[in-house]
Amino acid sequence: MRPFEFIKPDSEASAIELLGKLSPNVRILAGGTDYLVDLKHTADVPKTVMDISRLPELKGIDEVDDGLRIGAGVTHTEIMQNPLIKKYAPAMIHAAHTIGAVQTRNLGTIGGNLVTCVPSMDSGPTLVALDAEVNIVGKDGTRRISLTDLFVGPRKTSLKSNELLTEIIIPKRSLGKPANFYKFGLRKGQALALVNAASSLWIKGGCFKDLRISIGAVAPVVIRCLKAEKYLEGKKIDEKLVKEAGNIAVTEAKPIDDFRASQSYRNDLIAVLVTRTINAAIDLADKD
Amino acid sequence: MADNREITIKVNGKDMTTYVETRLSLGDVLREHFHLTGTHLGCEHGVCGACTVVVDGEPIRSCLMLGVQAHGKEVTTVEGLSKGEDLHPIQEAFWKNHGLQCGYCTPGFLTTLFSFLENNSDPTEREIREAISGNICRCTGYQNIVNAALDAAKVMKGS
Repeated sequence: MRPFEFIKPDSEASAIELLGKLSPNVRILAGGTDYLVDLKHTADVPKTVMDISRLPELKGIDEVDDGLRIGAGVTHTEIMQNPLIKKYAPAMIHAAHTIGAVQTRNLGTIGGNLVTCVPSMDSGPTLVALDAEVNIVGKDGTRRISLTDLFVGPRKTSLKSNELLTEIIIPKRSLGKPANFYKFGLRKGQALALVNAASSLWIKGGCFKDLRISIGAVAPVVIRCLKAEKYLEGKKIDEKLVKEAGNIAVTEAKPIDDFRASQSYRNDLIAVLVTRTINAAIDLADKD
Repeated sequence: MADNREITIKVNGKDMTTYVETRLSLGDVLREHFHLTGTHLGCEHGVCGACTVVVDGEPIRSCLMLGVQAHGKEVTTVEGLSKGEDLHPIQEAFWKNHGLQCGYCTPGFLTTLFSFLENNSDPTEREIREAISGNICRCTGYQNIVNAALDAAKVMKGS
């Protein structure tokens, strides 16, 4: 690893100020489970690395007026153990559990998983399916965007170099919404997703309401399957229709062909995973 | 430009201070500055688990934390498990069950299981396999390691 200057601000405010002053010659280090690996392999080391892993403002999971606030610096282990997540968004616990192994989940953060923005990120689909939003702070203040607007491309987000993602908000309307996440990798432990998927839904009068379907690892970024959602929205629950929604979702993805799996295998997986996550969410939902 | 810092880490119960380059991993600091060579660096990119140490009660990969990030924290390495010549029950169980061959991965398994068994006094075999899913052994396979963990759990529960 090449040398760099290391700074560790003690508050969010001073981190933002330093970012403003030093960008674009500064990079942010949180859990380090992705970024330190990058730093070891690249010649393109920034002048300064700013450690935000101990900023108190980025910690904590709290109920707020407009939903559930998850600090960007919360680790995957903390998500798995949190009673509010268990109560309001248990699918996130399952998603966090599929990330890396215990040693990486103890370090890696949910904010880091999102801003690293690899297409196979396992935090993405569930949060997208729950209409999550993120708070981004820069020197001109805070802006709130939908999580899907954060994702631009592989390892590319809409964050500016002087901005920090500070919080993830699950809106009130999604709290307790029946949802399911499913990851398919080549092994049980420490595998990248070939495909991952999450669905959430309400059932009203026996029909789908506010259905959300999100898939990862099969497009440049985690995506919502808008056509598949539209196909089912308002229709009566029916296994055949769910299966067809899985097929429609395939048309919305652009999976790659690589050494882990062929494109056609990934396409088959999309249909299966979308179908399974919808059916699992139906099982969780109140049926009146 | 090299950037150096003085750091103090409580390692195995003892405050240790050194002056390190900021780019050095915690694993390298433990081995090269504190001469605690029980921590083994394997893949050095967060996959093999050989370098696992316990930081503030949680097992982490010492190749994925900078030494400067560990400033002010408490670290337990494999050297901190035994009491002098008395092996920790997990070490004893690895020995009795032949839970190792070449031994390269062993410090990582021991520290991972140390942390796991401290918090789970009566684990199932499945839970143990899950707990060590971030540690790779290329010699023994995992059967004897799992047997050792089950044995150690019994001993630790009784003590």
